[in-house]
Amino acid sequence: MATPAKILVVDDEEDLELLMRQRFRRQIRRGDYELHFAHNGREALDVLAENPDIRLVLSDINMPVMDGLTLLSQLQEIEANVSAVVVSAYGDMANIRTAMNRGAFDFVTKPIDFNDLQVTVEKTLGHIQVLEDALASRDRLVALKQELVVASQVQTSVLPAALPVTEHFDVHAEMTPAREIGGDFYDFFSLDEYRMGLVIADVSDKGIPAALFTMVSRALLKAAARHHESPAECLYEVNQLVSRDNDACMFVTLFYAVLDLRDGHLRYSNGGHNPPRLICQGEVQEVPSSNDIALGIFMEHEFHDNELVLCVGDALFLYTDGITEACNAREEEFGEQRLDELLAGAADAQMPDLIATVVDAVEEFAGGVAQFDDMTCLALRMNSNKPA
Amino acid sequence: MANQSSLAVPSLEQDDAVVLCPTGRVDGTNVTILQSAVRERLEAGQTNLVFDLVDLNYISSAGLRVLLMAARDLQAQGGKALFCNLSEQIRQVFEITGFDKILSVHGNREDALSAFDPLT
Repeated sequence: MATPAKILVVDDEEDLELLMRQRFRRQIRRGDYELHFAHNGREALDVLAENPDIRLVLSDINMPVMDGLTLLSQLQEIEANVSAVVVSAYGDMANIRTAMNRGAFDFVTKPIDFNDLQVTVEKTLGHIQVLEDALASRDRLVALKQELVVASQVQTSVLPAALPVTEHFDVHAEMTPAREIGGDFYDFFSLDEYRMGLVIADVSDKGIPAALFTMVSRALLKAAARHHESPAECLYEVNQLVSRDNDACMFVTLFYAVLDLRDGHLRYSNGGHNPPRLICQGEVQEVPSSNDIALGIFMEHEFHDNELVLCVGDALFLYTDGITEACNAREEEFGEQRLDELLAGAADAQMPDLIATVVDAVEEFAGGVAQFDDMTCLALRMNSNKPA
Repeated sequence: MANQSSLAVPSLEQDDAVVLCPTGRVDGTNVTILQSAVRERLEAGQTNLVFDLVDLNYISSAGLRVLLMAARDLQAQGGKALFCNLSEQIRQVFEITGFDKILSVHGNREDALSAFDPLT
């Protein structure tokens, strides 16, 4: 073991400390054990509070101030992450039983046989290691399984296979999944010869239920987009469908816009999503929208359409909160102000470069701190109007 | 669990209601802590809850989902979930997502507590 196993010995006999240090001198010298001492249960709790990495407690039963059995109860009560071995008089089965009932892992009898004690200590340390390894593997396995299932679903169907390239606009999108798979999605599709649909969305929570909800929302929206000209009507229909029987209270924030390539006319509805940005002649402004709500939380909500015109050269930047809520080690957020400054500075960049600038800046800001949310951006620039 | 964000949910009973004060950050890594704090109260038959968010620094959509579930479950049991002391940041999240229209939001704790009907 790289670091010594920290062991707390609790006994009111003053000379036990000397004896223990002498008997275990080799282990101490080798750095296998680090011994701490306390003379009663109360002192033991203080030592544990100061040394939260102590994993093994060897405790006598009869002590002043606080006895060993009370100490065991206290350890259970505070859910201390320690294994306890009690030291009891030979044949004192009543106390030993009580101790085991209060969570002791093992016991040794007095007078202490130090060979037996060492075997017991080693066995207990082994048990602690197995427990800790099992916990770590379980967490890893759960996370891994979840990521695999969701990642393959995301890969196969959530994101458009290829974004269209035309002379009239540039469009680019990128999703950086967090370690913990989330439920962002974007979409981009043509509705007819002149009109394009643009979507960005973020589903609440993580894991497989969120991934399923993502798939459903995306499919429903795409279907609704075919028979409703108004984005608000699309959102209304999708909201009706996803709010029904929504026992898990899942919800999705979703921004949906329809762009008319003939004149740059953009009609959109915002279901509780972060307002996108309009980049116009180097100026960045929030795309204003009615205060509509996330989809899935209130079935009767009436959504609203808003409109603006994208002039030739203007760009639209859609994002999810994984960008602005990315955190650094000091728990500071990246924030909207940094985003707006970056967008203004990169206003003339090609769309892939614009997104790369933002993603790189967020990653640099986070400084290696693992993020728990996906980061998704979609950017579009109007290059020319399509003749009617 | 590794890399779990810090969250504690201290609570106290006040005027026939239970006040929960989520403290720290609520995100996907620790949302079950908030969830079980609410469930414990529900199971104890305490259905009037005030979420005092004065010490909440951040809430992700996963956290919002738990608040929504709490409000719905409490209502189903004839109770209420009220929310108060939203910081500017939390208020913004409530506003963008529209949760301020769905959840019952109050100014401070006294406002929230007095919103429970004493006759029920």
